[in-house]
Amino acid sequence: MISFDVQLLRDGFTLDVSAELDDGITAVFGPSGAGKSSLLNCIAGSVHPTGGSIQIDGHKVYSATEKIWVAPENRRIGTVYQDGALFPHLDVRRNIEFGWRLLPENERRLDPLEVAEFLGLAHLLERKPNDLSGGERQRVAIARALATSPNLLLLDEPLASLDGARRGSILNYLKRVHAEFKMPMVYVSHSISEVVSIASKAMLIRDGKVEGYDRPSALLLGAATAGGDVDSFQNIVDGVIGESTDHLTTVQIGESFSVNISTRHQNKTPGERVVVSIGANQIILAAGEPQNLSARNIIKGVVTEIWSKQGKVFTEVDIGHKYIVELTENALKDLGISVGNDVFLVFKSSSVDVFDA
Amino acid sequence: MNSDISIVALSLQIALIATAVTLPLGMLLAWLLVRKKFRGKFVLDVVVSLPLALPPVVIGYALLWLVGSNGWIGQVSKSLFGSTLAFTWIAAALAAAIVSLPLVVRSFAAALSGVDTRLEVAARGLGSGPWRTFFTVTLPLAYRGVIAGGLLGFVRALSEFGATIVVAGNIQGRTQTVPSAIFTRISAGDTDAAWRLALVSVVLGVAALAVHNWLIKRSANGNESTSGGAQ
Repeated sequence: MISFDVQLLRDGFTLDVSAELDDGITAVFGPSGAGKSSLLNCIAGSVHPTGGSIQIDGHKVYSATEKIWVAPENRRIGTVYQDGALFPHLDVRRNIEFGWRLLPENERRLDPLEVAEFLGLAHLLERKPNDLSGGERQRVAIARALATSPNLLLLDEPLASLDGARRGSILNYLKRVHAEFKMPMVYVSHSISEVVSIASKAMLIRDGKVEGYDRPSALLLGAATAGGDVDSFQNIVDGVIGESTDHLTTVQIGESFSVNISTRHQNKTPGERVVVSIGANQIILAAGEPQNLSARNIIKGVVTEIWSKQGKVFTEVDIGHKYIVELTENALKDLGISVGNDVFLVFKSSSVDVFDA
Repeated sequence: MNSDISIVALSLQIALIATAVTLPLGMLLAWLLVRKKFRGKFVLDVVVSLPLALPPVVIGYALLWLVGSNGWIGQVSKSLFGSTLAFTWIAAALAAAIVSLPLVVRSFAAALSGVDTRLEVAARGLGSGPWRTFFTVTLPLAYRGVIAGGLLGFVRALSEFGATIVVAGNIQGRTQTVPSAIFTRISAGDTDAAWRLALVSVVLGVAALAVHNWLIKRSANGNESTSGGAQ
């Protein structure tokens, strides 16, 4: 468990945040300049706060009143930066082993080569960072941090320099890392889609202050609709390839891969893991089961939440996995739906993007 | 010819000792100037660069005062060895070190600036202390610039004349370096012997500068390709 109460005064900017984070994945969300990275740097120890205290698993790593300051190299916190910050003079293997080598032998809980294997890097060990793709670099950065078996993993906009396809893949790796190694994570991002996809809790920071701390979709879409400023939200979910015909491929999604959706034909073998992305504005909501439609996907679900402000509406629908659907105020009124109602999600197979996991 | 060889040998010895001093000191100063924020940084920068702006004779004169029996270096050396350092090869090495220091600091500062500080931050987060981070991340990434700076300092020390002749004199076999020997031979009208040593100076200078420029070019290319991150 991580608890902090951090004040940082800097060039006219004041960061003043406190919270207790559980062992899940906590997203720190907010506009750029809100103080997200500053908070992360204070926790990691690369920035000295002006006041407050930081505690990780019962150990104080910083306390202004008790004059405690643990140097970053002794905090046992792994950090993954936006562009990886890999050591360009070392090959992938040396990068991954960098921190692991510095551990006393009895504290080496993870084998760097197994970590590399887990992140799909086994064939890249001899490469230098400059010969890697952006996605590979991020996986090396994650492996490098993991290999030190940290008590906490910090991720500072780890997907910001990647394109859409690679984002889904890295998100998926991070989820698997969390499931496998049970490491608490703090994930800094300004993308609602990413946060909703990966985090169990989200903290909204604005102008150096905590504005909310809640379930990601509840907090972020509520806040975003209030501000009238939501980027095109993407529902990003894990999936498994099912049957294929000449033109269509079925992908199983949902908590236990119980929901089948149709996508354009994918050149993939059944059973292959993928990441599926559907824009919130690509989905049509129907109050009753529609008949005779060209759209290939008609999926029944239950409305679990509705946010509405200034003509813009987001609903959350549980179809075995919670999907966010964007519609207009008028459409909501005409449909006459509210929380708890059965609805149908309708979308074309061509609206679904499928990426390698 | 024999005296030529011993003159060149003494010059190399003085320049090597001077370089042995300027490498760690230059790195410390460059690191302070590039990586640290502190009061008096501006003053330190000016003081370190001052030898570039002063006539070497003035530096030699100030150094003579420092190593003489009234200066603090002179008093320390007197109590330790029973004599001052004035007119010894050590004084010549000191003069060469001071004159070459600004070049070394500037080269090192440029080399350090080329290393992304986020890599140092990342190394610290991975459990590497500040010293280990310097030797395993910073130095390996800056080494071409560091070697180039060391070479530049070394050739500057080899060619030092003005400060050396004031503080160490021009004593054959004891403090006479290549430049001061050339000066003596020109004064005596022995032009052939002067040309021989001048040729040695040119060869050493050209070789060192060629290697220096090659290293700087390599490190510029290297840094370009290491800064990649965004696709």
